[in-house]
Amino acid sequence: MLIAAIRKELLIQWRTRGQLMAVFVFGAAALLLFSFAIGPNSEALRMFSAGFLWLGLLLSSTLTLSESFRAEMENRALEGLLLLPAHPIALYYAKAIANWLQLTILGVALVPVMIVLYDAGTLELLKLLLVIFLGAAGLSAPGTLYAAMTAQLEAKQTLLPLLLFPLIVPALLASVKATSFVILGDAMGESGKWIILLLAFDLIYWSLCGLLYGRVVEE
Amino acid sequence: MDIPKVSTSKTPYVILALGVLCLLIGSYIGLAVAPAERFMGDVQRIMYVHVPTAWNWMLAVLFSLWCAIAFLFRGDMKWDTRLEAGVEVGTLLAFLLCCQGAIWAKPTWGVWWDWDPRLTTTAVLLFAFLGILALRKFVEDPVKRAIWSSVATIIAAIDLPIVYMSVKWWNSLHQQQSTPSTVSSQFHLPLRLNAFGVLFLMTAFIMIRSRIAAYRLRQELAEPPVRIGEEAGELA
Amino acid sequence: MTGVVVGGWEYVIAAYSITALAFVIYGVSLVTRLRESQNHD
Repeated sequence: MLIAAIRKELLIQWRTRGQLMAVFVFGAAALLLFSFAIGPNSEALRMFSAGFLWLGLLLSSTLTLSESFRAEMENRALEGLLLLPAHPIALYYAKAIANWLQLTILGVALVPVMIVLYDAGTLELLKLLLVIFLGAAGLSAPGTLYAAMTAQLEAKQTLLPLLLFPLIVPALLASVKATSFVILGDAMGESGKWIILLLAFDLIYWSLCGLLYGRVVEE
Repeated sequence: MDIPKVSTSKTPYVILALGVLCLLIGSYIGLAVAPAERFMGDVQRIMYVHVPTAWNWMLAVLFSLWCAIAFLFRGDMKWDTRLEAGVEVGTLLAFLLCCQGAIWAKPTWGVWWDWDPRLTTTAVLLFAFLGILALRKFVEDPVKRAIWSSVATIIAAIDLPIVYMSVKWWNSLHQQQSTPSTVSSQFHLPLRLNAFGVLFLMTAFIMIRSRIAAYRLRQELAEPPVRIGEEAGELA
Repeated sequence: MTGVVVGGWEYVIAAYSITALAFVIYGVSLVTRLRESQNHD
């Protein structure tokens, strides 16, 4: 059941991959704007590159997350899905996993932009991938829940970021810190602690949001 | 769905008066009678109002969490009216905490904001609660509004300790003196009086605010009035 | 932290005033809104 739902979500994402491309351009543009805001100060740019990457990804996520429920909203498919003998929680996890994948792809795509714009290269690519993977999960779980809620509202474009941003502060802090260590060096081996915080945040929110989703979409 | 009845007792006003009394006496003692602190000087007196606000803010958050869980389990709309009150009062207290904290920080550390974990967590929760208030404004169906705000409140409340821990770690390299949560001077009296004062004030506010929410619910849940003279099926 | 913070009464007054003002304004707004709701009911 979950597999079928995931497959459906991935299929939808594949069909709308043009949009993901547009969001990537938006994210890259954001990274560019950040560098203009700082000025041609290569030291400062490099020092804050992790922050810029994650801010860029966070801003991009508001676009992709609200899009993820567009299909349901346009055809009133949300109610149709509820009539299926599928548990709403399985539907939540399918969407959250699809969004997670999408955000991971976005994050990875933005890495070369970061490396070029901020001279923020690193050899620890696997660790960087891990951090992006875990950070994207931290954005996706609450993001999918709130996207489901706000999709039904007029003010969805403002409400989704307004609700989401305060919540993901720990995920943002941990992701930025861990990414920073990957780029700037980790003399005291501190990145592990941040990765564990990120993992804990992910576990807590993936369970909590799944639990609460059923109430959010019930009629 | 029961339409809530709204109490008209005078109790909240009595509690309000008690609260004002405690605050007046406590603040007088804290400002005029208590000795100046050894290192902080007179600026320390801010603590006599800052710490009570902080304690009561935490209570407001816990109260809101309790109401949210109670509503999800019981479905009784009275919990939603209390939740609305708790979130609004909690937002007020969080805002006050940030103001008081900044005013305390400027003479003490020279900056308006210091990323102290406690105060930073309060600021994050302030935005989270503002988001919940905004959500309530935009959802018209009362039951949906109640369910969604309960969910959002639970998520925000569970986030609180995680935010605190992450900011604490994040800040640890640059830690200056943190805001004292206990008052080092021997004068606990103004602290206790003000703590009760704010507690009574908060309780009264929540009681009154729940009544306002209950009246609004009564309007929303009541049947639309039948207008005389209108043909059946005719649209206005 | 070494040294003593001298003066600073303006900050103390600012803190107490903002707090008092906020409580008074909120309290008054509550009572007003309650009266309005009661009349409307």
